[in-house]
Amino acid sequence: MGGIIYLTLPRRHRLRTLLFSLSLGAALGTGLGGCQRAPAASGQLRLVDDAGDTLSLSSPARHVVSLIPAATELLFAIGADSLVVGRTRYCDYPPAALAVPDLGDGIKPSIEAVLARQPDLVILYNSGQNAAVAGRLRELGISALRVNTDALSDVPRVARMLGRLTGHQRGADSVAAAFDTALASATRRVTGVRPKVLLLVWEQPPMTIGRGSFLSELVERAGGQNLFADVASSSGVVSIEAVAARNPDLIFTTSEGPSGFAGRPEWQAVLAVRERRFLRVTGSEFNRPSPRAPAAIRQLTAQLNRVSR
Amino acid sequence: MSAARLALLLVAVTACALLGLSAGAVSLPLGEVWQGLWHGQGSGAAIVRDLRAPRVMLAFLVGGSLGVCGAALQAMIRNPLAEPYLLGLSSGAGLGAVIAIASRAGGPWTVPLAAFLGALAAVALVYRLSVVSGRRLDPHVLLLSGVVVGAFAGALMSAVMVLSDAPGVRNAFLWLLGGFGTASWRALAVFAVYASIPLAMLLFHARSLDLIALGDEPAHHLGAEVDRIRRVVYLCTALLTAASVATCGIVGFVGLVVPHAVRTMVRPLHRSLLPLVFAVGGCFLVLADVVSRTAVRPLEIPVGVITALIGVPLFALLLRRTLA
Repeated sequence: MGGIIYLTLPRRHRLRTLLFSLSLGAALGTGLGGCQRAPAASGQLRLVDDAGDTLSLSSPARHVVSLIPAATELLFAIGADSLVVGRTRYCDYPPAALAVPDLGDGIKPSIEAVLARQPDLVILYNSGQNAAVAGRLRELGISALRVNTDALSDVPRVARMLGRLTGHQRGADSVAAAFDTALASATRRVTGVRPKVLLLVWEQPPMTIGRGSFLSELVERAGGQNLFADVASSSGVVSIEAVAARNPDLIFTTSEGPSGFAGRPEWQAVLAVRERRFLRVTGSEFNRPSPRAPAAIRQLTAQLNRVSR
Repeated sequence: MSAARLALLLVAVTACALLGLSAGAVSLPLGEVWQGLWHGQGSGAAIVRDLRAPRVMLAFLVGGSLGVCGAALQAMIRNPLAEPYLLGLSSGAGLGAVIAIASRAGGPWTVPLAAFLGALAAVALVYRLSVVSGRRLDPHVLLLSGVVVGAFAGALMSAVMVLSDAPGVRNAFLWLLGGFGTASWRALAVFAVYASIPLAMLLFHARSLDLIALGDEPAHHLGAEVDRIRRVVYLCTALLTAASVATCGIVGFVGLVVPHAVRTMVRPLHRSLLPLVFAVGGCFLVLADVVSRTAVRPLEIPVGVITALIGVPLFALLLRRTLA
């Protein structure tokens, strides 16, 4: 329900990646495989994006506007940073990205602001609201790539797509391979009991993360268990009594999440709140799937170990 | 009201309360509910005692209050469409909540308090606009003022939402859609003490409402101080609605549907109508809340969505029957 209502609203990247990393997006993203090559024409770069559009570039892009924080981070990681001529106001990593002109919002961006940067490739989040934006950009002769950046599996996949379109295939391949290796080695194989973690992202109403979000994946790979893994969507409103009945071992919050709930009387019905068992993380690696995810998993693992000891 | 009807009402209220206590994210059998209420230990007892009991009672109180507000406003404005949220204060409350979230004000009670202040500001503005020619509160001007103040506050709310990059600003919409997810004994106590005053005032003016419903002229001839009563009724309903929005967001249709439904069952004298509307409104909201927390367990559907989903068909049915 929360997702449905939320999806009808204008969105921001940061919140979106934090709360609403769509399960749908993740499913489509891995299923369709954006790296599929369309029938190749000679000398042409062709690629089908996550929205099903075929992009066709005669040469690698020289000026890229990235309107997804996760994509901006990837462009810097694969060595295409000098091509980035525009970003969203939420693209804050790596710090060098802040030097790139800020074009505002990434969902329903200002097309004028994008045009002013004279890009030949614009990277957009694959959402309904951006479909019209992509169409308008194509009419203006600018390639628009729409991708899902919702699940951890999107990181290497999108890295390779960006590598092909910018002529940084080798950098992209090495980022993708390093990511897969690091992810595998950071993932804990837990044989015993997994601590149950409530991922609380908002308090009025209480909102949690379901298995459709990469945050759930981070916790599961760190050896924890998402208290609401049975919620298929990326997030949802739950009752405190459902939380109390499931009795989490830990309550996970981010720096942008709830802060006052622990002081409210109704939350005292939850044992973990009474015993102040909180796991508060800061840092944008918890806002979006990125090459930093393995490090985020290690950080969570350390904190989970500390608490369960 | 006959004794049989009163007994029936009591049974209905009890049944709703018991259902509200036993249904939820986890179903608890009535035996466990009973144990939990009085002397249980463990998570089941904590759920019943600390979460469900205050939640059910708060839903009942808010539902009853909204019903009474609706009935009183319909009589006072002499418009069957009148309902508590028509008077602009829901947008005022929303604006308050959004500003609180956007300014990143912390603290567990900030959002409800800001919503309450926003609603009060809207009430004050609507009241100021509607008091024309001295101290007369014109019902038509009141309705229009409510609409324009509501629209203005709504526009401001959208502007704040668009301009703010505070995380969670958009969740304010979810909060406004209503729910009793954060009910507590403390919230219940605050609301009960606060609401008892305007509720008592409205009940005290039951006979005056009967007169006003006849029209200003006859009411005046029958000895009612029309202007004073209108001001009192407006302020009581506004204050009551403001508190309910602050408590649980905007729960629509209770104030519209319940009074009309009850009027089809009893004579429309407010002395008996108002208490009955209170009881039926309370039961309605308790049941709607049960649906909101059980329909898609463990997720919750905002209770305002449920009241609209039940209320609109019910209203349509009533409309057809009244016309036929």
